[in-house]
Amino acid sequence: MESITVTFKLNGKTTAVAIEPLESLRTVLREHLHLHATKAGCGQGGCGSCTVLVNDEPVLSCLMLAALADGQEVTTLEGIGTPPHMHPLQTAFFDRFAAQCGYCSPGMIMAAKALLDKNPHPTRAEIAEALAGNLCRCTGYVAILDAIEDVVTQMQEA
Amino acid sequence: MNADLFIPRSLDEALSVVQTHGAGLLVMGGGTMMMAHLNEGIFFPKKVMSLARAGLSGVYRNGHTQIGATTNLTEVSQIADYPILSEAAYQIGGPAIRNMGTIGGNLYMPQPAGDLAVPLLAYDAHVELASASGSRTVSLEDFLAEPRSHRGVHELLVAVHLPDPTGYAAYLKLGRREANTPSVVAVGVRVVMDKQGQISDARLALGAVGPFAFRAKNAEALLIGQSLNAKSIADAAQIAMEESNPFTDALATAWYRRHMVGVFVKRTLEQLTK
Repeated sequence: MESITVTFKLNGKTTAVAIEPLESLRTVLREHLHLHATKAGCGQGGCGSCTVLVNDEPVLSCLMLAALADGQEVTTLEGIGTPPHMHPLQTAFFDRFAAQCGYCSPGMIMAAKALLDKNPHPTRAEIAEALAGNLCRCTGYVAILDAIEDVVTQMQEA
Repeated sequence: MNADLFIPRSLDEALSVVQTHGAGLLVMGGGTMMMAHLNEGIFFPKKVMSLARAGLSGVYRNGHTQIGATTNLTEVSQIADYPILSEAAYQIGGPAIRNMGTIGGNLYMPQPAGDLAVPLLAYDAHVELASASGSRTVSLEDFLAEPRSHRGVHELLVAVHLPDPTGYAAYLKLGRREANTPSVVAVGVRVVMDKQGQISDARLALGAVGPFAFRAKNAEALLIGQSLNAKSIADAAQIAMEESNPFTDALATAWYRRHMVGVFVKRTLEQLTK
């Protein structure tokens, strides 16, 4: 089979891309569409650094056939904030030093966003459960949980 | 990587792909295992079929409970009537993995993955296998024991069937960390008590301690006619250890797995006394 074309809504914009049949969504995002926030970590479903949202639900883009994105809505970190207009989670990660090497941050932020979109007032334990599939080998997680709790508090005050 | 990818839109379409391409066709549920193999770059299937759009997901109640093969683990974790099934599903991976992995795919996972077989054995699950020439329903126990080469080639697992649950059930999984990890051992038990508090029926299922998840039938037999007490629990735990056939891998040694069968069978049965 030659390449196939998939069309999906990527960060709000309809996007068509020619892919090889068995390419993962992660490969298509990074290597065809040059969106590099989504990280290529373990490729095994163990680290969560490739987490993106498909129809607002977190999935691991390294384990998803890009062909299955056809007709769906895909959101990557690039779609939720830009340097001049950062998402509150990005600002909180920055303020709380929740990144050391930063490799896990995009996946962490996407997993946290999926949680907060459904449950704006999670407990710290619920935040930790939402991040159960995301590994960070630098921070010890405390700063990450603090950052997300900050956003929860901000939303309560707003 | 040159390959044919099939994404059938119905079961009939999926079965016709199976009939046409037979051997050599790789069938994916949620892809959480097969995509991981592909990403390693050591595995080059020529023909792949994803069941993601074949309309096989959903939970139906109709005298019994039917769970479609591609129902994802998040959905399985929300099924209220089978508490240890939902618990086991919730303990797999993280939210993203649970949004992708399917109950059908989970039953094809090699040990030590594939935790769902453990609670499903405890609930006497059957699986429905379909081919172009019809369908058959077999007990999960028989399905798991079938040689792998028979699967995915001429028939598809389309649904899991569960009788209404009776008795009390408990499930415990031991992993090397709390989340997102395969099992060192997984234990699922269900016991039915008579009016005198004696066990009239028992299921004791073990995962990650054999070539596939299985029922420790000698331990089950020992429990019948007894009450749940320190002695019957200790005896069942001892026999379950003897019935296990554990392996050594990166997570645990066979010795440790067998030892923890004893510890976890005991803890699981003790939960039922509370």
